[in-house]
Amino acid sequence: MSDEELRTDGGATTTTARLRRNLDQMTAEDAGLYVVLIFAAAFYLVPIESGLVTSFKTGTAIIETAPFAPPGPSGFTLEKWQTAIDALLRGMGNSLLYAVPATVISAVVGSVTAYGLTIPTWKKSYKAVVLMLIIAGIFIPYQAVLVPLTQFWSQWAQLDQVLSFVWALGVSNDYAGIVELVITHVAYGIPICTLLFRTYYKTMSEEMIESARLDGATLRRVYRRIVLPLSGPMFAVVLIYQFTQIWNDLLFTLVLVSTESSPAAPVVLILAGLGTSLEGQDFALRMAGAFFAALPTLAVYIFFGEEFADGVAA
Amino acid sequence: MATLELDSITKTFQDGDEEIVAVDDVSMSIDDGEFLVVVGPSGCGKSTTLRMVAGLETITAGTLSIDDRVVNDVKSQDRDIAMVFQSYALYPHMSVRQNMSFGLEESTDLPDDEINRMVSETGEMLGISNLLDRKPSDLSGGQQQRVALGRAIVRDPEVFLMDEPLSNLDAKLRAEMRTELQRLQNDLGVTTVYVTHDQTEAMTMGDRIAILDGGELQQVATPLECYHEPANQFVASFLGEPSMNFFDVTLEGNRLVGDAFEYPIREDVRADLGDATDLVLGIRPEAVELVDKAGDHEFETTVDVVEPMGDENTVYLHFDPDADPENASALVATIDGFNRVSEGDTVTARIPEDAIHLFDRRTGEALHNRSMKDAADQVDL
Repeated sequence: MSDEELRTDGGATTTTARLRRNLDQMTAEDAGLYVVLIFAAAFYLVPIESGLVTSFKTGTAIIETAPFAPPGPSGFTLEKWQTAIDALLRGMGNSLLYAVPATVISAVVGSVTAYGLTIPTWKKSYKAVVLMLIIAGIFIPYQAVLVPLTQFWSQWAQLDQVLSFVWALGVSNDYAGIVELVITHVAYGIPICTLLFRTYYKTMSEEMIESARLDGATLRRVYRRIVLPLSGPMFAVVLIYQFTQIWNDLLFTLVLVSTESSPAAPVVLILAGLGTSLEGQDFALRMAGAFFAALPTLAVYIFFGEEFADGVAA
Repeated sequence: MATLELDSITKTFQDGDEEIVAVDDVSMSIDDGEFLVVVGPSGCGKSTTLRMVAGLETITAGTLSIDDRVVNDVKSQDRDIAMVFQSYALYPHMSVRQNMSFGLEESTDLPDDEINRMVSETGEMLGISNLLDRKPSDLSGGQQQRVALGRAIVRDPEVFLMDEPLSNLDAKLRAEMRTELQRLQNDLGVTTVYVTHDQTEAMTMGDRIAILDGGELQQVATPLECYHEPANQFVASFLGEPSMNFFDVTLEGNRLVGDAFEYPIREDVRADLGDATDLVLGIRPEAVELVDKAGDHEFETTVDVVEPMGDENTVYLHFDPDADPENASALVATIDGFNRVSEGDTVTARIPEDAIHLFDRRTGEALHNRSMKDAADQVDL
């Protein structure tokens, strides 16, 4: 670097000077890298951007402008969002009704199971078998259990009748489907939750647990006072993951609740039919609905973001 | 406060089809209020022994009793034992006060204000009162160490177990804590078992030391006994820095014949040896003297390396001036720091007969040790 470059005449020029210097020093390799990065970013962002601008377009604007182009003053409307919110709001409530309990229960059960499979000294061979059975549950695809699942709920466990006292209070008996969804999602979520928590507990200091045992704490107390309070970051990971999974799942809702006209219809069911009619697809309405339905998962990410980063790092 | 008795304690681990013996038939008894240091190289089974006492490992064979009560099958939390770990094992989400209260809350029915009072008292004793509301992550290594100690002390257990508690501290702090731990143990009078690989800690801290190697107990005795009257060659080589010099020698009549020298011995020393002829001659570096006059026990040597330590010099001597220094057997001597010797000098080294140790080369067993009386006399001089 020459003297001339080092000498600047005050703060004002430094930014531009630095920028110019950076540009001067940029090699072809660097330039290539930036081009690829910008292209990749655009590639991933264009669908989201297109969806977002489309949701604000009027019917004619959709036909007249390119999908990723902004609507322009004459083609701009909030009407589609209004319609989407009106249609989906009741579904949101129903979705929360099963997504929240299912997420929390599967996380808690997963944590306890993982603790039991990690910390106490069992015979190693038993632990391995139990763990293997649980982990195997992760690999069973949703599609494979659809038929047994419907049979189970319709023939073996008829919640509709068991909960008849609830319907007597004036609640639609379609809500039996919501309860079924909670139980099904908990059962399906336990394996992955257990695995995630187990990985985390394996990294916990063994000496710390032993120390707590020597301090006179029973296994249950060690969990409650030491392990559980330290599980925060992993709970964030599991809650985000499970909530997104359960919220977005369409297959189980289709099988267990089935109709979008039902008062217990979750948001995904209503969304599936939103903006489709004999006249064709209302793209703007579908996009607005999709973004609106995704808001809770986004909120969960933002809410647990910091802990999530800790948990992923661990 | 209690006595602790290990009777033929054995621990084996199963590794596939192989059985690994970690601790082999270890017996010792620790008196009420005694400070016993268990020392040995890594993998010698010292930590496993401690963990068996704590109840963190099962005992494969043998009996363990605290105050004459067999506790083999008693759970850790019911043994009334407190342990300090090398990693301190503090609970990171709790404040220092909560860390210290935890044990009392879990193991006693004391009311909260009583627990608080005890924690505050212990904190004061250890000089950590001002840290009670901090989290462990805000503390330095030395402070964490104190908290770990405080957590053990506040419970007033029957037995303290310490697993290399000082090894994560820097040298200066370690020396301070060594003294402080001794003082604390003395004041509290709690039976303590302290595991370390550091022979300085072993020599300075314990009432007695137990030396383990390969899962087997080598010797249990006071530090000075172990140092001056080692039971075998392992103990002799493990204690002392720089370690004892060893030379393979063969007994021929009343002379020990080695590669580099011949060493005549007295009749009473000869009598200790019995039938053994293949021997190892041991001499501590500080027992070797540099002298002017020649004699039976004096040898002409060449100085190879001088390591000045300030108060003393460690010199490496060779018997044969032409030998390749890499391979030739060296005699290490510690001499006064003001004694000027330099590389290449020819000096006469005396190996005093009163200070030699003789070991059976096959079994390693000590056949003849310098007597404690001789050692004491030497200190007086």
